Amino acid sequence: MAVTAMYDYDWPSRSRAELYGDDQLVHVWWRGNPYFVSAQTFRFPKAMPFGALVNDVLKGFYTADPDFVPESLDSAMWRIDHQDVTPDLGASLADNGVGHKSLVEFSI
Amino acid sequence: MTIPAQKPARKLSMKQRYSALTHDLDWTPTYVQEEQVFPYTTFEGIKIHDWSKWEDPFRLTVESYTKYQAEKDRRLYAVLDGFAQSQGQLGLTDARYMNAMKIFLQGIPIHEYDAHRNFSYLARHLNGPGARFAALCQSLDELRHAQTEVHTLSHYNTYFDGMHDWKKWSDRVWYLSVPKSFFEDAVTAGPFEWLIAIGFSFEYLLTNLLFVPFMSGAAFNGDLPTMTFGFSAQSDESRHMTLGLEAIKFMLEQDEDNLPIVQAWLDKWFWRGYRLIALVAGMMDYMLPRRVMSWKEAFELYFEEQMLGGLFKDLEYYGIKPPRHVQWAIDEKEILSHQVYWILYQYSHAAAFTTTIPNAEDQAWLEEAYPETRPMYRDSVWDKAQRVMDDGGRFFNPGLPQLCTVCQIPMGFTEPGDPMIQCQRQSVYEGERYDFCSDGCQWIFDREPTKYRQSWLPVHQIFQGNCGGPTLPDVAAWYGLQPGDGGEYLGSPDNLNWLEWHGQTPKEA
Repeated sequence: MAVTAMYDYDWPSRSRAELYGDDQLVHVWWRGNPYFVSAQTFRFPKAMPFGALVNDVLKGFYTADPDFVPESLDSAMWRIDHQDVTPDLGASLADNGVGHKSLVEFSI
Repeated sequence: MTIPAQKPARKLSMKQRYSALTHDLDWTPTYVQEEQVFPYTTFEGIKIHDWSKWEDPFRLTVESYTKYQAEKDRRLYAVLDGFAQSQGQLGLTDARYMNAMKIFLQGIPIHEYDAHRNFSYLARHLNGPGARFAALCQSLDELRHAQTEVHTLSHYNTYFDGMHDWKKWSDRVWYLSVPKSFFEDAVTAGPFEWLIAIGFSFEYLLTNLLFVPFMSGAAFNGDLPTMTFGFSAQSDESRHMTLGLEAIKFMLEQDEDNLPIVQAWLDKWFWRGYRLIALVAGMMDYMLPRRVMSWKEAFELYFEEQMLGGLFKDLEYYGIKPPRHVQWAIDEKEILSHQVYWILYQYSHAAAFTTTIPNAEDQAWLEEAYPETRPMYRDSVWDKAQRVMDDGGRFFNPGLPQLCTVCQIPMGFTEPGDPMIQCQRQSVYEGERYDFCSDGCQWIFDREPTKYRQSWLPVHQIFQGNCGGPTLPDVAAWYGLQPGDGGEYLGSPDNLNWLEWHGQTPKEA
């Protein structure tokens, strides 16, 4: 439904992909752990390998939870935009199907 | 020659004076079309046939309004002076009480001013003189409230952090984008939607849930100025409620085609307002040293009983149904405050208020108020946060939260029936994904995606480089935060000053 207005009301998104150049926003959600109150939003290069996300970013980031065991991510179950996936750690985020504002979800 | 003595004119009655000074000042334009004089009252699709049917039960005139308000203001300012002279801040229950007032000062007065501006617009642009005059009075009220709220709280700025830069924070800081986006959404709507958004949904449906907790909280915690402000504003608020109710009934009585438009606005603005006052839920249950009632009890009394049980029964006559996502709100009453305060706790290092783990007394109260849900949150998050504290740390979230595109709150609300799984809703519009915390916010976006895709989401703005830089100190500096404004309460300047003023040391506390 269009906005009811006195003129043709059409403005671009304030967070559209082109504003981030070669990067994109990605939401990462540790499903089932309410200690992190919501999913986190990051800005990553589209070309970053999925393995770098897991090993270089998330294994460090989630140590803010004192019970987190980094190796547990090696056997985590992954979903991208609500679809079960087995990520290719060597391939880029983009090639794994992670787009701008995609939701990357894991459970351990 | 003698001039015959003229008989003095008989004084007009109140009703006649009101009529002479409002309705009689109106005229029907003859040189131009009515649409040229009032260009904004047709595009929303609301049909009005007879503006004279708008009833103003208060029948105020400018003269009576100013006389009455000046007297009220005099009384308020006398209390403020007395409180300041007697060092009244020393009689508060605890310095952490001020966190509730910091949120109030940062989130409310600036938007009272927005409301003042938009009611001024209505006072010019509504077609009927009765409606215009009621909007004029409310416009003046909102301006007075903005001023008196700032004056009421300015005394505390001398003694406490987190109060010095509320105007700048309102435009910049992440959690204050929640009220800002709410009011900007409303002022950018047409005049009739504004009347349903603010006049009815906010001022009538939800106002008791906003004002009563703050004002009773003030009364219970030794904050005489805020309590006095609350009483002073109360008579205005009851006038606003009457205007809101009059507005919805007027629209519904004028044309039956108005019903679906009004119902959709009601559905939208109930949910917008309900999400906004989630901040109040967290404040009531976790930030007041001496509590009034729990969020759950307040919601049951002021919303379920008074609104659903009373008001909506009356509105049924017009074909109005309770708001679309009301059941979701009812289901959340057991968990809402726990989730909101947990958001505030882990992000207060980037805020202008402090948070702390509930102490033993707080915990006992919480477990009595929420016997089913509080133990769950204690076990899953608070015990862990306590362990981190015991080891000499303090849990702050090291990253930035995913935000809801509509309410702009970090997406910490959970699926109905599963309080451990956050709710994730996504819509794709013209190839771009958007995120929502609930069915309510997603429904609002899907109705008007071109409006909400312009949301100034603080997290996205930080990542675009528009908020001072990429690190937390960069952003905090751009926000205008100073050391002591945010973070952990225990050991904060407010906490240490409080102990010193009362001759205590941190260990005794």
